Amino acid sequence: MKEPILRVRDLYYVYGNGQIGLDGVNIDINEGEKIAVIGSNGAGKSTFFLNVNGVLKAESGEISYRGTMINKKNLKELRKNIGIVFQDADNQIIASTVRAEVAFGPMNLKLPKEEVIKRVDEALTYMDIMDFKDRPPHYLSGGEKKKVSIADIIAMKSEIIIFDEPTVALDPLNAEMLEVVLSKLSREEKTILISTHDVDFAYRWAERIIVFCQGKIIADGSPLEIFQNEEVLKRSNLKQPMLLNVYESLVEKHLIADEKIYPRSIEVFQKMIQAIK
Amino acid sequence: MREIILFVLGVLAVVVLLMAVVGQHHSQDGKHHHHKIGHKHGEGFVIDMHAYASKIRGWNPTFKVSLATVLLILCIALNNPYVSVAVLIAMAYLTMVKGGLSVNEYLSVLMIPIAFILLGTLAIAIEFSFDPIGQYHLHCGFFYIYTSQEKLKEMIFLILKVFAAVSALQMMTLSTPSSEIISVMRKAHVPKLIIELMNIIYRYIFILLDVYSKMKNSADSRQGYCDFKTSCYTFGGIAGNMLIISLKKANAYYDAMEARCYDGEIIFLEEEKKFEINQIIMAVIFVAVLFLLWGFTK
Repeated sequence: MKEPILRVRDLYYVYGNGQIGLDGVNIDINEGEKIAVIGSNGAGKSTFFLNVNGVLKAESGEISYRGTMINKKNLKELRKNIGIVFQDADNQIIASTVRAEVAFGPMNLKLPKEEVIKRVDEALTYMDIMDFKDRPPHYLSGGEKKKVSIADIIAMKSEIIIFDEPTVALDPLNAEMLEVVLSKLSREEKTILISTHDVDFAYRWAERIIVFCQGKIIADGSPLEIFQNEEVLKRSNLKQPMLLNVYESLVEKHLIADEKIYPRSIEVFQKMIQAIK
Repeated sequence: MREIILFVLGVLAVVVLLMAVVGQHHSQDGKHHHHKIGHKHGEGFVIDMHAYASKIRGWNPTFKVSLATVLLILCIALNNPYVSVAVLIAMAYLTMVKGGLSVNEYLSVLMIPIAFILLGTLAIAIEFSFDPIGQYHLHCGFFYIYTSQEKLKEMIFLILKVFAAVSALQMMTLSTPSSEIISVMRKAHVPKLIIELMNIIYRYIFILLDVYSKMKNSADSRQGYCDFKTSCYTFGGIAGNMLIISLKKANAYYDAMEARCYDGEIIFLEEEKKFEINQIIMAVIFVAVLFLLWGFTK
């Protein structure tokens, strides 16, 4: 088996007030995976992300990136290769023009100026926001700010990109834009982790789902395994995805043959229904 | 650095609160009287928007800042009404014709310091006495207010001088976004700490204003401003909450910065805008003309 790109072993993290944030997290993440991280509020998803990125310092545990153990010295290597798109773009955007904002990461990597400008232009083109590169962030809309915060991470050329609840503040059109960007990133073999409460989105998009509950990983597997496991769903206060639910009801009533081909998108499901008639 | 951000946000929370309150007052004024001078978001906001919309935003910021500084110094040092008038006209030309700002907007921005200027200069022109002396005097009960043509002239020249100096600075602020002015200051070797503070403060003002307006609206929708006493309580509650939120935001920001390899020094990409030789030549000619004016009318 291939060496995982990120390996986390026995990660413990305790908040300043003594509350346990992470309670022994073990996980291997392989290159190019599309992972949805789900779990109720306060289950430890964001804490996990910040730990993996080296922003929060764990009490104990090991993180290794491509086989190299992460310690204080090569922490920067970790941060360079793992980018987080934060939930609230307003908590991430620091500079007062879009261009300077996207350049913040590359500038911190101490790249030569030409390279920084090249990367910024690439990232802006990638997110299709070249038009407002000179605009200040405080005159952008929510969706535009989100695009800027994603461009921030693209400019750093991180191999693993973490999205912390990206769909929360977006309107349907912008959510669609986000999915387009996600599939574009996947084609480039980026490893993507997304925390979300949207089970339909997780079911549709993810290849693998990790479920957090009270600082622990309680389940890790394919979307089907997770969403058919009622105990896990109950413990993490989640519901079954709509499409899976509909499909199972139809199978139960013998309206479609039980071929165990689970449709993951509406389009596939519609084709399936049309094939019956 | 975390402490600095915390501190800045804490202080800013207070400043923004005050600004917002003043701004709100102002906007209500505007609503009642329907006069054109008066804005919805407080003056700082408007100037910022004009700066981004200005057609001469593309000019090299170092050029604009230096020109404004030189003219400011000349206005004060030469102390000559003709020079003042020349600067006043030239700056109005640059801001309105070249920059594309409308006359109304320009005047409303230029009039911001009018109260200070009038109060300050009146004190020079007018004097008090118990006897009817001076060229012109006005009897006010047991004392007289008196002045003279000389004094009035002095006052008008002073007003001209101040307006010329202000218009030179307005030309700069109405065409150069804060981030560019800060980058010029960095080039002028202003200490790093101050530059970083200025950058952070500029960004956070808008975030805190946003937070304030959200909290105010939600309080308003729950009858938080129904009478004076309740308004005071609500204001206090919002002030307290702003502090807590600014502390939380400071932490979130610090995490986000660290996640992008921040290591103790904030460096932003600054755009290089080319110096236009024509502009520099024009500026030099203008300054030379000012000196000539001064020389002839001394």
